[in-house]
Amino acid sequence: MRTRKLLTVLALIPALAWTLFPLLWILTASFKTELSLYAKPPQWIFSPILENYKRVLFNIPFFEYLTNSLLIATGTTLGSLVLGTLAAYGFSRTRFWGSQALRFLILVTRMVPRMTLVVPYYLMMLKIGMLDTYTGLIIAYISFAMPFSIWLLIGFFDDVPLEVEEAALVDGCTPVGTLVRVVIPIAAPGLAVAAIFAFLVSWNEFLFALILSGVHSKTLPVVIAGLTTDLGPLYGEMSAAAVMVMLPNVLMTLVLQRYVVKGLTLGAVKG
Amino acid sequence: MGSISTVRGKGRGKALEIGVVLGMMLLLVLVFGLPAWAQTKTLNLSMLAGFKEDVLRANLPEFEKKTGIKVAVDAAPLGELYKKQLLALSTGARYDVLFMDEPWIPALSEFLSPLDERAKGLDMQDFIPTTVAAGAFQGKQYALPVDPNVQILIYRKDLFAQKGLKPPATWEELLKIGKGMHDPAKPQYGFVLTASNDIQTINYMLLVMWSYGAEIVDSRMRGALNSEAGKKGGEVFLELVNLAPPAVKTYTFADVNKAIQLGQAVMGIQWASGAKPMEDKTRSEVAGKLGYAVPPKGTRVTPMRGVWNIAIAKSSPNQDAAWEFAKWLSSREFGLASTRYPSAISAIHSPRVSVLTDPGTQEALPYAGVLLESLRVAKERPRLKEYADIQESLRVIAGKLTAGELNLNAALQEMDAATNKMLVK
Amino acid sequence: MGSVQSRRWFLVPGVIFLLAIDMVPLVYSLWVSFYEWWLVRPRDIRFLGLGNYLMLAADPAFRRSVLVTCTLTFGAVLAEFLAGLALALLFAQPFRFLRPVRAVIMMPLFVVPVVGATMWRLILHPEMGVLNFYLGLLGLGNPQWLADSTMAMFALILVDAWRTIPFMFLVILAGLETLPAELYEAARVDGASWLQAFRFITVPLLAYIMLVAVLIRGMDVFREFDIVFVLTGGGPGTATETIQMLNYRVFGLGHMGQANAIGIITLILVALMCYLLIRVVQRSR
Repeated sequence: MRTRKLLTVLALIPALAWTLFPLLWILTASFKTELSLYAKPPQWIFSPILENYKRVLFNIPFFEYLTNSLLIATGTTLGSLVLGTLAAYGFSRTRFWGSQALRFLILVTRMVPRMTLVVPYYLMMLKIGMLDTYTGLIIAYISFAMPFSIWLLIGFFDDVPLEVEEAALVDGCTPVGTLVRVVIPIAAPGLAVAAIFAFLVSWNEFLFALILSGVHSKTLPVVIAGLTTDLGPLYGEMSAAAVMVMLPNVLMTLVLQRYVVKGLTLGAVKG
Repeated sequence: MGSISTVRGKGRGKALEIGVVLGMMLLLVLVFGLPAWAQTKTLNLSMLAGFKEDVLRANLPEFEKKTGIKVAVDAAPLGELYKKQLLALSTGARYDVLFMDEPWIPALSEFLSPLDERAKGLDMQDFIPTTVAAGAFQGKQYALPVDPNVQILIYRKDLFAQKGLKPPATWEELLKIGKGMHDPAKPQYGFVLTASNDIQTINYMLLVMWSYGAEIVDSRMRGALNSEAGKKGGEVFLELVNLAPPAVKTYTFADVNKAIQLGQAVMGIQWASGAKPMEDKTRSEVAGKLGYAVPPKGTRVTPMRGVWNIAIAKSSPNQDAAWEFAKWLSSREFGLASTRYPSAISAIHSPRVSVLTDPGTQEALPYAGVLLESLRVAKERPRLKEYADIQESLRVIAGKLTAGELNLNAALQEMDAATNKMLVK
Repeated sequence: MGSVQSRRWFLVPGVIFLLAIDMVPLVYSLWVSFYEWWLVRPRDIRFLGLGNYLMLAADPAFRRSVLVTCTLTFGAVLAEFLAGLALALLFAQPFRFLRPVRAVIMMPLFVVPVVGATMWRLILHPEMGVLNFYLGLLGLGNPQWLADSTMAMFALILVDAWRTIPFMFLVILAGLETLPAELYEAARVDGASWLQAFRFITVPLLAYIMLVAVLIRGMDVFREFDIVFVLTGGGPGTATETIQMLNYRVFGLGHMGQANAIGIITLILVALMCYLLIRVVQRSR
């Protein structure tokens, strides 16, 4: 066991170095002036400045955009989880003529480039007056996140033995109740991943946010992209913005992380 | 059997549960659906994101106070702005006023309100004439100039002084000076430009080709770069590339600035909009050591012009309010405020002679005089609806030339072929 | 069984939603792709039939972009899959110190793609980038990351991998966590080695999850745009010009017919890729 632990730690070192190097680079860049960013040898120890953060927070309505992003991402996550779970459960527990084809059809949106979808979507939203609204973007993002959620959750639901559900039904549970009280807890890791994924899809998305948002629903990725000016990327400001934008994601993952590693409850089957 | 009947009886309960879940979800989504309806004397402005946006936002409260008109700023990054404006205007505009780059005006002109009548009441003679031309198409004025830009020559006046040199007036002189000061070991390079597939590469190439007399299209609307003048210009361009840092093949607009700011290049050509950070001590090691001049000539002086304008959408219901805003944005007051905006990165320049010759401006922007001079002789890109397409093709071909995929003759031929293809349609 | 049939209705809300939201734009796209429609001349719309498609098929730039895109997709997905699998196996061990480290490993996913690519561009810059500085110290030369055609492709795979290995890692780990420990116990009792346990227990049981991960990633990399745009812009020259770079160019100029044709062709190619992948996995089951 000891050697196992040692080997694990040794294997972790390159993995962490690989992951952390650019992140630390971004973090330090957010506190540096542009000139010191190019210094050779690269300065890891330096006197930090707060200019970049100040500029990002105060020159543009950063908090407004942050709120927009948060609301839209939350809406997306909830929506795609609910719809996706229902759909995945349905696919997992039924087989009918055409269900395989339907499963494949759902993936179709992930096969078309976003650019191709954005104009018809724009026109659709224009017609029903949902341009520059939260709902418009949420609907779009749910449709992006759902295919993956559904396919992933089908796998997790398939792994939940039917006997467990039967047992619950015999005990007087409704089918929905079985889903909520029995199946979901067992498949929790899958749901956590689907939630994280949905949140990220919405949080990081740029093209649809750019085209569909206006003054009222602009999200952070559009703002960050705007930091690539004709003078080139404003590295300091961009890094500062990126750091601040990462924080909600980190928080959310820390919360959901516990569910990715769940104890196994297969004991219920044998009982 | 008990279980089946239980299931049937629960069927209705199940439907109810599903209904509740769906209803809650729907409610959640609708709650977040806050539509954006802000009419009544609010102008929707399509703006360029970044530090130009900063300057605008800083001065906007003054406009709103003076006129009582509110302005909602919808900013998009440089690479996406044209697309967004084109889409919005061609499908039924969400914008009242638009901040647009001059090459877009021919293409977007049919969606814009002509301003000739209104401009009659304006002091147009204060504008540098070619900046006004930037907003015109087929005899009508579609926009007012706000932020003029032009290519200028930047050089290390300290190093030049050491050797008793004056800024070069012709490309031959520039090449000679550049070779003399070219010392990769330091590293110190004679010149800097871009030689990637970035849009600036073709702009540099055009600058040189134009200066020897070449044109993108001739009077019969046929591609004309593959000419004696074009070849000469192309050769000089490639010689310039040799004087640049080896990584020039990946360079973009920003990299040209870096090379100058880090003291690696002795001379460079850059748009005036890139000059301000070169004088900022936290970004530039050569702040205060730079001199500015009009770009050298071949047989004529042809720095490329690029003016940002303010235009009014034809479909806007707020034409009068929009005109107030356009007037203000191109006004002397705004010009004075914007050129003095305390930012180390950039300003919105002014197209007005009175602003650029103002002593305060000259102090805030050391290159203001050269900006004015260059603008007076600046050359415009062909005013065609197809120009954006032509420019794209030219950009790719220039990139292939510098990457070694094509030789100069083949590149020039392809450029003309691409131009002709677009214009034949 | 009455209860199983009634499960069918769970599908309805989700599927209706997706079909409504997705099918309408898709059909519209297909319809537009049969026309020549330039936004700059909105009244000048002509029916072309398959004209756009034929033009694209005959265009050497487009054909090349298909090749470039396939290369990128294959390279990136392979690298990410192997690395993600290795990491997941590493973290599936019951050591408590692994818990907080897991959150760190996931962090690249949280960086907005445009920012990540921009910072990497700076890191990879041949003169001003830090990577070459450290490589120089180690005596590993001065690779011209973005100036050389092959290195540019490699750089793209590198940056995409950095950002999305955590995704593969997350999905496979989630799958590993639901595998019953009893099976491994039994295998160990029977004297099986770790490798045999991996081959005969882990792989078959995880095949579906791994397929989903590879599928989704494959589809995403094929349609990838942000990273290519920021890192290489399709360069040097046209060496890394993917299908989406072409699409962006055409779309940005307002040529809706051509852009949509490119989109539909992408759809067909991706659907083909998915179908083949699914068949391969099903056959091996």
